[in-house]
Amino acid sequence: MGKILTFSGVLALLLAAVPAWAHHSFGAEYDANKPITLTGVVTKVEWTNPHTHFFMDVTDDKGNVANWKFEGYPPSVLYRTGWKRDVSMKPGDRVTVFAWRARDGTNWGHGRQVTLANGTKLFWGPPAGTGDGGEKPAVDVK
Amino acid sequence: MTARWLTLCSAIMAATTLHAQARPQSSAPRAADGKPDLTGVWQPGSTTPGSWEDANSGNGLGGTGKNPNAPVALSSTDRHGQEGAPYQDWAAKKVLESFNSRDIDDPTARCLPAGIPRLYSFGLFPVQIAQTPRQIIILYEYMNVFRVIPLNAKHAEDAEPTYLGDSVGRWEGDTLVVDVNNFNDKTWLVGGGTFHSDKLHITERYTRVSKDQINYEAVMEDPQVLTKPWVYRTTMMLREGTRVHEYVCPENNLDVERYEELLKGGIKFGRQ
Repeated sequence: MGKILTFSGVLALLLAAVPAWAHHSFGAEYDANKPITLTGVVTKVEWTNPHTHFFMDVTDDKGNVANWKFEGYPPSVLYRTGWKRDVSMKPGDRVTVFAWRARDGTNWGHGRQVTLANGTKLFWGPPAGTGDGGEKPAVDVK
Repeated sequence: MTARWLTLCSAIMAATTLHAQARPQSSAPRAADGKPDLTGVWQPGSTTPGSWEDANSGNGLGGTGKNPNAPVALSSTDRHGQEGAPYQDWAAKKVLESFNSRDIDDPTARCLPAGIPRLYSFGLFPVQIAQTPRQIIILYEYMNVFRVIPLNAKHAEDAEPTYLGDSVGRWEGDTLVVDVNNFNDKTWLVGGGTFHSDKLHITERYTRVSKDQINYEAVMEDPQVLTKPWVYRTTMMLREGTRVHEYVCPENNLDVERYEELLKGGIKFGRQ
């Protein structure tokens, strides 16, 4: 109970004191136990810091179309990972993405690998768990 | 006889010393003033030589995925080192609270600078070093921050506390030693939740041991939160052909709303 209160206290403090929240904790925003692979048509690519995003229309078996959003590396890292802005992936391209779903169940994911229209596979974002503290805290738990 | 022997020994010792001073201690390139030349674009947190693309072919942080067997790179919130950070008990609890809340209080998540030595704890972003006989300039792609390190100078008397502190450097043999003080208390040291006070003092050592590699060491002292000096070591590898890019973090930091929505919606993301 004390631990829960402490954690709640931290959250309350942060909510009150921090106007700008973060982009780095995978584990807060995304669920590593909810991997998803989707194929669709790219509608928009946001080549922005601190994270890029691309949007994709996905059509289900009944013909319903849903627009999904996938977060990725910043532009400089995408460049070093082999991406070329406005060349590798453009609106209208049919691509497949492996991602992990957002914890709130919305059509939002942390993109990991994209299979481009020409079959090339490129990483769009880092592995699950990046930025959320990893497996072990910095201090030894007594 | 004894005097002549001593004179001979002295002469041999002097010649040996001169020879040792004149001969480079390693294969590291030298600047015009004879000091090791740290100039270049470097990838911290790596031990693999070669180009950026070749050295980052694994599945880890920032890799291309072409070689699944390549070593995994750590992220900036991962624990670095076997030994736990030597925090005082009350402070260790605070570090643990950050871990349990998945480091949502990470200053870099608000586009604030990663601290020293955290800037050298992950290999996703390169670092560029420029060197003159009088100062060392270090440019960090992550958050686009920089450090100007005057050599053989005193700390600025009017320095305000800052994220990266006030640095002065000196050469000790082939090692660049940088003394850093005047920090604010708004960065993390290395790993998630590793806060510090404004009494932090860091001694850094940069040794270019070969053309490809700088050995880096930081001794962190903060009597307000640590029980003893905390030593962090890593290596930086030369990445010829790599450029330090622009990184304007606040451009499109949309996750402010995301976190608030998750919290309002009662989404549980903390560790149990």
